[in-house]
Amino acid sequence: MSDLSIIGKGVHRVDARGKVTGHTRYASDMRLPGMHYGKIVFSSHPRARLLEIDCRAAESMPGVKKVITARDLPGSNRYGYGVAHRPVLVAVGEETRYVGDAVAMIVAESEELASLAASAVVVRYEVLAPLTSPREAMQAGAYRVHQEAEGNRCCQREFACGDVDAGFRNVDVVVEQTYVTPRQEQAFLETEAGVAYEDDAGVLHVMSCLQDPYGVAEDIHLALAIPKSLIHVKGTPVGGGFGGKLNTTIQVHLAAMACLAKVPVMLELDREESFDFHAKRHPVEIRLRLGAGRDGTIHALDGEVIADVGPYSGRSAEVVGLAMSALLGPYRIANVRTRADGIYTNNLDSGAFRGFGAPQAAIARECLLDKLARTLEMDPLQLRQKNFLRPGDRPASPMLGESPVSIELLTQRVLALLGPKPAAPENSTKRIGRSICFDMPVFDVGEIPVLGKAGVGAAVQVHSDGGVTVYAGGTELGQGIATVVAQVAAEQFGLPMEQIRVEMSDSWICPRAGRTSASRLTFGLGNAVLEATARLRETLLAQAAKLLEVAAEHLTFEDSRICLVGQPQKGLAFAEVAEVCSDRGGNLREEGWFRGTGDRYMYGHTFMAAAADVEVDIATGEMQILKLVNVLDMGKMLNPVMAYGQLYGGAIQAMGYGLMENMVTVDGRSKTPSFAQYMIPTAMDLPLQFVAEAVETPYPTGPFGAKGIGEAALNCTTPTLFNAIADALGVEVTEMPVGQEQILAAIHKQDVQ
Amino acid sequence: MMRKDMTLTVNGSRHALAVEPHLSLLDLLREKLDLTGTKKGCNAGDCGACTVLLNGAPVNSCLILAVQADGQDITTIEGVAGEGELHPLQEAFIDHGAVQCGYCTPGVVLSAIALLRDTPQPTRSQIQEALSGNLCRCTGYFQIIDAIDAVARRQSEDSSRNLEKIP
Repeated sequence: MSDLSIIGKGVHRVDARGKVTGHTRYASDMRLPGMHYGKIVFSSHPRARLLEIDCRAAESMPGVKKVITARDLPGSNRYGYGVAHRPVLVAVGEETRYVGDAVAMIVAESEELASLAASAVVVRYEVLAPLTSPREAMQAGAYRVHQEAEGNRCCQREFACGDVDAGFRNVDVVVEQTYVTPRQEQAFLETEAGVAYEDDAGVLHVMSCLQDPYGVAEDIHLALAIPKSLIHVKGTPVGGGFGGKLNTTIQVHLAAMACLAKVPVMLELDREESFDFHAKRHPVEIRLRLGAGRDGTIHALDGEVIADVGPYSGRSAEVVGLAMSALLGPYRIANVRTRADGIYTNNLDSGAFRGFGAPQAAIARECLLDKLARTLEMDPLQLRQKNFLRPGDRPASPMLGESPVSIELLTQRVLALLGPKPAAPENSTKRIGRSICFDMPVFDVGEIPVLGKAGVGAAVQVHSDGGVTVYAGGTELGQGIATVVAQVAAEQFGLPMEQIRVEMSDSWICPRAGRTSASRLTFGLGNAVLEATARLRETLLAQAAKLLEVAAEHLTFEDSRICLVGQPQKGLAFAEVAEVCSDRGGNLREEGWFRGTGDRYMYGHTFMAAAADVEVDIATGEMQILKLVNVLDMGKMLNPVMAYGQLYGGAIQAMGYGLMENMVTVDGRSKTPSFAQYMIPTAMDLPLQFVAEAVETPYPTGPFGAKGIGEAALNCTTPTLFNAIADALGVEVTEMPVGQEQILAAIHKQDVQ
Repeated sequence: MMRKDMTLTVNGSRHALAVEPHLSLLDLLREKLDLTGTKKGCNAGDCGACTVLLNGAPVNSCLILAVQADGQDITTIEGVAGEGELHPLQEAFIDHGAVQCGYCTPGVVLSAIALLRDTPQPTRSQIQEALSGNLCRCTGYFQIIDAIDAVARRQSEDSSRNLEKIP
């Protein structure tokens, strides 16, 4: 398909103009007539029994419209993905499970009054000892965060192939290590926010930043017993999500406020509330063991993942499952046994964050591979190459397996881009290290088990003036899906981008498309829009064929015209055909559905390589990334400018994860409640040089060959940095994140010269 | 509560207001003047999403009391170009893919405007330094730096061309 005119081009984002001019209205920028402000009273303790809530002082304050506690709520007061066991408000007599649990809500005339009233709510607690260690939580007799969860187990996954015990018996070398990864915060710049109101017809409208409008509608129905047909959820432009807005966040609380106070309500979390409230990247402990022959062939892998789920299930089962299956990476290993447990605690909540468990797994796998290489005294790249999946191989872990194995090609590209290894200045305390790591990132291509319903739908409407509207239920988080969807429609109709409008993230007007996660929308929505536009093309071609008195198969869509192939002058304007179709009652609105394979294999996969040259000063522990290289097989870049944006952004998030980010908790409370304590990379922290490159091996069932690539860059960049530092020092730094302090400690402890 | 009378000029328009003494400049812009292009990311001066120009200098508007801006001149993102027009930096941000979620964008654009006014031909590390107070979680900054660099280069080409025209 070399004659594509819009697909594969770095066309401007459809939402860019509004964003650079400040005109885009995010959730907290919305203003409604009569709008009041909400405030949530959060639990003062990670774990405590609620003895009494006294709202009298708050209720008597001027400007306070409503004070809400659990007994005011209609419905079950329970919601949540996975297991619907999260209370909207903890009731008197119940226990809180983390500091993000809500105990009361205020609706007042101003934000300031709402805050004042919130601090006037008097809550009496019986403070209880929080359970903060997953290992302790697994012990028999431990207090249960949820009564029904034995051993505080939220989820468990197992995978095995071959005979792992026999595999380990027949190897020359066994290496083993336990890796403990930090809790990473999504750190989106826009905190959770939204507005809600009930209209005269009794319909509840909730407009909020989110990643799954359908899941939010379901949760509001579950918790508040509002009929589903009376709930309209509209996603607002999202100021960053990265998985942190995938669970329902504040929307159920907001809905309850609007319904009970009978006024439009705005609710916006402040930064500290936001950090405490939403689910973050699971801190995990991974014990991994590899057995290999002297030639470097890996014969056996045994892995165990224990993940700190925090108080509620959310997406943990899927995240923990991927953390387990991603331990295999892009390698062929005959004998495998892996197991993962997600364990409830009273720590901050854990859930989805770009990579979905795979970044943790990649750290353990790639760092242990380097350790194996050191043990075997073998070049770490050669060790990996010896064990790569080979063309025609299917991954052992459950994948669809449609992706051509392009990993050797990535290796060649990464080596070419890296160039010769730089030398450290002579007689200095500086040491140079290099590493190359690999990964097999996945993206959702199959049956999507979202609340029992599968499929990704999109509707496309051709208007009588030739304009096109695409209704796509996914959510634009900044990743660029609205632009991709518009590009697909524009390409299909031979129209310029300006003719296409995209309506997204609306539980009422968009066909069901499920959640925006797992790098699934370019693939799913792209295919859905292809199907819908293909039907419309048939309708328009048939009409044009009649008007032109030629056979439809001789016609094509080009330059806003429907014309004879190769003869653009012989044809009609697209708009003219659309108008005739419309006047004659033709159907110019079609739905397309991508329903996946219907089997249990949810993920497709691709391949990624990352490399780094670093310079470490052994006198000070200071580290500088001299060069970072990312090469990703994207299948086909639908928009290279945006695709590279995903690679750049993902790599720097991975760098933050590895070198500086950790949401530290002590006794269930955050010790890093602001951006002053929880540091993310700034423009000053970038590698001296960063080279990203796309390789394009088309994915057979992807739209134009595209794969999902939003998460991929994060996975193996982090271990690449760790391994490069270890290469420079000659010893591993095992405490993460690896900052100057940790490097210096490792240098002193292990007497690096 | 005691209100204080004050005036300020925002994007060239003069406003006379009576404000609570503890109101931040950020809340004044967003809540009283409905200039919501200025974003609230942390309300603590850590993230830079609320960056505006105060007498031409970039500041975190969440850290400044509205009354401190009495009589001063403010530029917000809504005021950097005429109605329906784009500032060259805004155009470059679109061209270079420097916008993803867009929440940091207004603040970043204003920091960049101030940089190029004071340092028309910055090095890449000067650009990085000028952006060090503006957090961006989406882009990894590369395409933002490229966009600013491109505008600076174009401006320097334009100014050298102008010099050539002088007889």
